[in-house]
Amino acid sequence: MDSVTLKVARTGLTRASYELKYRKGMTVLDALIEVRERQDSTLGYRHSCRMGICGSCGMTIQGVPRLACQTQVSSLNSDTITVEPLHNMTVIRDLVVDIGPFFRLHRSVKPYLIRNDIQERDHSEREYRVLAEEVRRFLQFDYCIMCGLCYAACPTAALDPMYTGPQAITQAYRYMADPRDEGWEQRVDLLDTTHGVWRCHMAGACSFVCPKDVDPAKAIQMARMEILKKRILRKKGKPGSRPVAPSAPGQGKPGTKAPPFDFAEGRTKET
Amino acid sequence: MGEPLEDRGNSLMKESWNMLLTYLTAAALVFVLTFHLLLQSPLVGKAFEDTLSFGVATGNLVYYRVVFGLLLVTAVIHGFNGVRVLVLEWLHPTKMGWLLNLVILVLMAFLLAVGTVTLVVVH
Amino acid sequence: MKEERRYKSGLIPSLNPFGFNIERWSYTVHRATGVILVGYLTAHIFETFQLGAGSAAWANTMAALRSLGPLEMVGLWIVAGSALYHGANGIRLILNEVFGKLMGKPILPVYPYSPTSLGRNQRVAVWTITAVVLLLWAWAGLYLLAGLGVI
Repeated sequence: MDSVTLKVARTGLTRASYELKYRKGMTVLDALIEVRERQDSTLGYRHSCRMGICGSCGMTIQGVPRLACQTQVSSLNSDTITVEPLHNMTVIRDLVVDIGPFFRLHRSVKPYLIRNDIQERDHSEREYRVLAEEVRRFLQFDYCIMCGLCYAACPTAALDPMYTGPQAITQAYRYMADPRDEGWEQRVDLLDTTHGVWRCHMAGACSFVCPKDVDPAKAIQMARMEILKKRILRKKGKPGSRPVAPSAPGQGKPGTKAPPFDFAEGRTKET
Repeated sequence: MGEPLEDRGNSLMKESWNMLLTYLTAAALVFVLTFHLLLQSPLVGKAFEDTLSFGVATGNLVYYRVVFGLLLVTAVIHGFNGVRVLVLEWLHPTKMGWLLNLVILVLMAFLLAVGTVTLVVVH
Repeated sequence: MKEERRYKSGLIPSLNPFGFNIERWSYTVHRATGVILVGYLTAHIFETFQLGAGSAAWANTMAALRSLGPLEMVGLWIVAGSALYHGANGIRLILNEVFGKLMGKPILPVYPYSPTSLGRNQRVAVWTITAVVLLLWAWAGLYLLAGLGVI
C-alpha cells in the first residue's frame, strides 16, 4: 500500500482522519507520532518505550485492544485504521485514558509477598531459595506489564465496573502460587467475593489480547480451583507446596555451589 | 498496601458456594434434560405431536415424577442463579444487593411452588 | 459513588465479540441462549401447570399455541438449539473452570506467543461442540419443522 488513513477518535470531535504515506515496517505508534509531528500537534496519546515493555501505548486498534508500538500497519490488512481509546476506562483526552481505577484494582489484591513473621520480613538476613520448578508455576504470570489491554477486552469488565479484572486476579494468583508467600488465605478471601473471580466467564479475550503471553484466563481458572479446594476440601494453607523459609546457614553464601540446572528440561537436575 | 474497595455487594453466602451450586445443577441438568428431551423425541416411538397429547404428557409426568421433580429444581436454581449473575453484573448494586437476592429467591420459590403443584396434582 | 462514564462499556459492548477469539463468541451465544432458556422455562412451568388443571385446560393451552402458526414450531426449534448449545458449552466451561482441563500448564512464554488456554485442546473442544450441536439441532429441526412443509 502507498498510503494509510488513520481515523482517530478525538475528544469533542466525532473522528479525525489523517492520511499518511506508508513506510515499510511502520507501526501504528509510528503513524501517530508522524501525525502529531507533521499534521496535528494537538493529538493526545501515551507512549514511552516503543518496544512493547512499558505498556503505555495501549489503545483500541480496529476494534481490538493492542499495543500501538507492537502493531504493524501492514498486519491489519487495511488502508484505513480506526484508533480509539481503550474500552472500559474513562477518557481524559483523545486516546489518553484514566488508568487509575485499573491500578486500584491491582492494589486491592495485595500484589506483594506476605510473610507472617514481621520481624523476619523487615530484618531478613538470608534469601529465600525457591526451586526452578516452583518458579515455573508462577513465572508466566509475573511477565505482566500492566498495559490494561486484558481489562479493556474483558466482557465482564465492560459490564461491571466493580469486577476485579483479569490483571488483578492474575497477579493475586501469581502470589498464591509463590511458595514464599504466606498470604494464601487472605487472597482467597479477597477473590471469593461477589465481584471477584467468579464473575469471569472464560471468554478468553484477556489471553487473546495479552502482548506478553501472561495468559490471564489460565491464571483465573487456576485461582478458582484453589478457592474450590479451600472451600470444599477445607485445606488449610496452600495445597501442594512446601513451606519456604529463609535459607539455612551455609546455603547461599558466596562460594557455595547451586544445585545443577537442566536447561533443556527447565528444572533442577536430580543428583 | 491493599486498598479496600467500595462495598462489593451483599451475598447470603460465599460466592464460591453459590457457584458450586450452579455447577452441580448444571451437571445434573445435562442428564435430566436429555432424558426429558428424549421422551419428547421420535426416539420413544411416537411422533412429536403425539407426545404433546394429554394422555402421553400426564403419563410421562406421573411415571417419571421424581425425574421431573429433579428437573424442576435444578432448572429453576440454575436458571435464576444465572439471571442473578446477569443482573448483578449489569446493575452492580452496592447497597441494594440484598434486594436482588431477595427478588431472585422469591421468583425461585414461586416457580418451584407452581411446578410442585403440577407434579403433585397431575394423575 | 458517582460512576464515571467509561468508554464503550455496558451491556451491548460486553456482548460484542467482533474481532475477538472464538471463545468470546461462545460467551455471547452462551449468554443469549441462557436468557432464552430462562424465559422459556418460566413459560413452560406455567404451560405444564395446565396439565394439572385437566384435559380441557390442556386442550385450550394447545389451541392457543397452535394459533401462533408456524411460529410455535420455529420457536421450539430455537429453544431446542439454545438448550443444546448452552448445555454442551456449559460442559466445556465446567471442564475449564472447575477441573482446569483444556487450560494447559504455566509455561515460559516464547515469542511468537500463543496462550495455552486458547490452544489446541480448547479449540478442538469449541469446534467439536459446535459441530455436534449443529448436527443435533438439524435433526431436531427435521422432526419439529417437517410438519410445516418448511423442509
